[in-house]
Amino acid sequence: MSVPSAAQRALPLPEAFSPWRSLLRGARLVALLTLLAVAWAATQTGVFRGDLINAGGWALVQQFFAAALRPELSPAFLRLTLESTLVTFAYAVCGLALSLVIGLAGGVLSSEVWWLVHQRPFVARPGSPWLIARGALALPRAIHEVLWGLFLVRILGLDPLVAILALGIPFGAITAKVFSEILDETPRDALRALLNSGAPPGHALLYGLLPRALPNLLSYTFYRLECAIRSATVLGVIGAGGLGYQVLLSLQSLRYGEMWTLIAALVLLSGITDWLSARVRQVLGAPARLEVNLAPGCEAQAAQLTRATPSSRGLLALLGLAVLVVPLALVYLQPDFGRLVSPRTQALLGQMLAEMFPPDLSGDQIARLLQLSLQTLAMSIVAMAIAGLFGLALAHPAARRERGPRWPYWLTRGGLLVLRAVPAPVWALLFLFVMFPGPLPGALALAVHNLGILGRLIAEAVENVDQRPTRALQHAGAPPLHAFFYSTLPMTIPQSLAYIFYRWEICARETVIVGFVGAGGLGRLLTEQLSSFDYPGLSATLIALFGLTFVVDMLSTVARRPLR
Amino acid sequence: MSVKPKLALVSLALALAACAAPPPAAQPAAPAQSPARPFVISAIPDQDPERLNRLYGKLSDYLKAELGVEVVYRPVTDYAAVVNAFRTGDVDMAWFGGLTGVQARLQVDGAQAILQRDIDEKFRSVFIANVSTGIQPFEDISGLQALKGRTFTFGSESSTSGRLMPQFFMRQAGLSLSDLRGEPGFSGSHDKTIKLVEAGSYEVGALNEQVWEARIKGGEVDTSKVIVIWRTPPYYDYHWVVRPDVEQKFGAGFIERIKRAFMALDATNPAHKEILDLFGAQKFIETKNENYADIEAIGREIGKIK
Repeated sequence: MSVPSAAQRALPLPEAFSPWRSLLRGARLVALLTLLAVAWAATQTGVFRGDLINAGGWALVQQFFAAALRPELSPAFLRLTLESTLVTFAYAVCGLALSLVIGLAGGVLSSEVWWLVHQRPFVARPGSPWLIARGALALPRAIHEVLWGLFLVRILGLDPLVAILALGIPFGAITAKVFSEILDETPRDALRALLNSGAPPGHALLYGLLPRALPNLLSYTFYRLECAIRSATVLGVIGAGGLGYQVLLSLQSLRYGEMWTLIAALVLLSGITDWLSARVRQVLGAPARLEVNLAPGCEAQAAQLTRATPSSRGLLALLGLAVLVVPLALVYLQPDFGRLVSPRTQALLGQMLAEMFPPDLSGDQIARLLQLSLQTLAMSIVAMAIAGLFGLALAHPAARRERGPRWPYWLTRGGLLVLRAVPAPVWALLFLFVMFPGPLPGALALAVHNLGILGRLIAEAVENVDQRPTRALQHAGAPPLHAFFYSTLPMTIPQSLAYIFYRWEICARETVIVGFVGAGGLGRLLTEQLSSFDYPGLSATLIALFGLTFVVDMLSTVARRPLR
Repeated sequence: MSVKPKLALVSLALALAACAAPPPAAQPAAPAQSPARPFVISAIPDQDPERLNRLYGKLSDYLKAELGVEVVYRPVTDYAAVVNAFRTGDVDMAWFGGLTGVQARLQVDGAQAILQRDIDEKFRSVFIANVSTGIQPFEDISGLQALKGRTFTFGSESSTSGRLMPQFFMRQAGLSLSDLRGEPGFSGSHDKTIKLVEAGSYEVGALNEQVWEARIKGGEVDTSKVIVIWRTPPYYDYHWVVRPDVEQKFGAGFIERIKRAFMALDATNPAHKEILDLFGAQKFIETKNENYADIEAIGREIGKIK
């Protein structure tokens, strides 16, 4: 601040009170390393190289935007759009139901508290069942839904079952991790009281812990529904049908009018789901979509159902509806569960595993994988740097405010919704109109899609921030801009950065799906190997992807630590 | 105070019921597979999807009448997915390109290439260019050197006429992919290659000659914007490949009956002509696995067959 304000001259603040200084103190090293990493990634993805823009494609881009004025609205196409929307929704619902089964079982088994009540005294040493449960969930989580889909289709054949499992398995593993954290962070006083009065462990958990964890569990479940819709769309792009598939077909045939109709359907579906999920969380008193950076030992805020008596009836109705929707979705999709146990499935699984081993780890291959892994890493960093910067900038107009005009809120929120409703591979195909194939169009596609998700997450962090310091500054006479820069912004930055790093982990997994449409990195190699049926090469690439996921998860965890 | 846990437990019970729901509801779906399983055909998605749906819808109706079994066409999103569906047995017979046909046979023991169109014995690719490039048509393969420093797109990764053979001839002409401007694109289908080159998104592209001729005939190409610069030498391409187990499923001699049904397609019969026209053929003729030995060798050379 170059010009000291009147308030400051009158009442000089001690240095330790500067919110920026205290923010930077803990995270200076992380900040420096992050900047270096972004600079490296930009060079690596070729931001500074020539031959990036394929100017010949602008005509197509113009045609694409011009078509927004005349979307395809023939009755036949509208019916197709409706059917596709139902398919995508049904996949999301079935996948989510499966993930909840896995998530509840896995979440309980990998929670500390479950083993704590069953084996006293609790010791977390390697080899304990707790560690096994945790470890078993790490692998399915590291594989993107699309990869699950591509492998399952090779074993189970063309069946809706593939998309349901491809969505349910990784989502189940993620849900299990979060559920176990919620269970472990729920206050244990009631549980302890029940155990001490001699209740059996099962009863104690059921009556002492679950009821208090339930609002957070449900809130997270509805957040997953939003994710499931996005995931079901992407699975559609690789062939499961539904909106993603139709968007891809229309784009491949360059029928832009159809695309706009389908995009409108995607935006509506996402918008309604997001709104519903937000309403449910409001009723549950758990406003944050997800808590990514709780310090260990910091117990999750116990959500209150007290003031929710009238709305909990609405909640029950909603849950009743959810119970109905799952069987309906199953009837609609008609998955053939018999395939899970058929001899053909076993034969195909055996055949595929035999072909995949040993992985192709020749010297050439390793050199190539290393180079592409670095390129993929760079793609994810560039994507998150762009999404993060714009997310931070857009989050403030996108946050609901008590005073001031409403239009910036609706405008930015609407824009962010469109960005996240359109799946990343479709963004990549659009970027490929005007850019040469390579990592950069892929990075941009991921940036745009993730900006839609990140912008909203940060906006909610802004909405939930403690308003008192801002008000105090304003009442002390600070101009609004100063109050913003000295209270709201520094207070939301740690949570926002935590979100950015958390999203980076997901983005690193998503690099695969933009690779499928020719946008560089390991995903590009994977597509080439899949179309060449090069299974030994494929398993080597998968190992590289695991390694990359592991490194990114670790870096993200380390980087988030000083932000707590 | 006692109300809250009870309420929470009710909701928990409901949530659990929601999770438990899948297995019972699934049961009616499982026996949906009828004892008389249909004969399932598929095809590589090399052209506009709605065109393929029209073509294979008509063909399915024809085969159903000729073979006396239910025939179903399964549209699939990409080339490799058709090969995979053929491998798992979800598809009994598929219309493959040269390369995908070899890939499919290598993965299914005993699968046979049985039929091709008259044009597939001497199939060609065309290299097309946007006229603004000023590239003139040429006769000799060495003319491909004109692609140096140009932007270029293939069709699908697994396309024989849109990727494998063009890349093979470019290599023969001493042109490496790194001589192009930027990375080569993969448009996904022949139709999209035409549209991208016509729009100038890519300066040069390579595609299936038959699709090109059909679009020219249909007046769908603006020839003031895009021209053919070179036709490749001929090679074997598209063909029907059938799984060995169809005779167990549909009776001995079934493969022979399929062949007869296709070869009975007669261009003088208006109903048949419609199907043949959509295939861009005069008639179907027999083929055999050995015809694709060259394609297999080139596939291995380019790395598309391991």
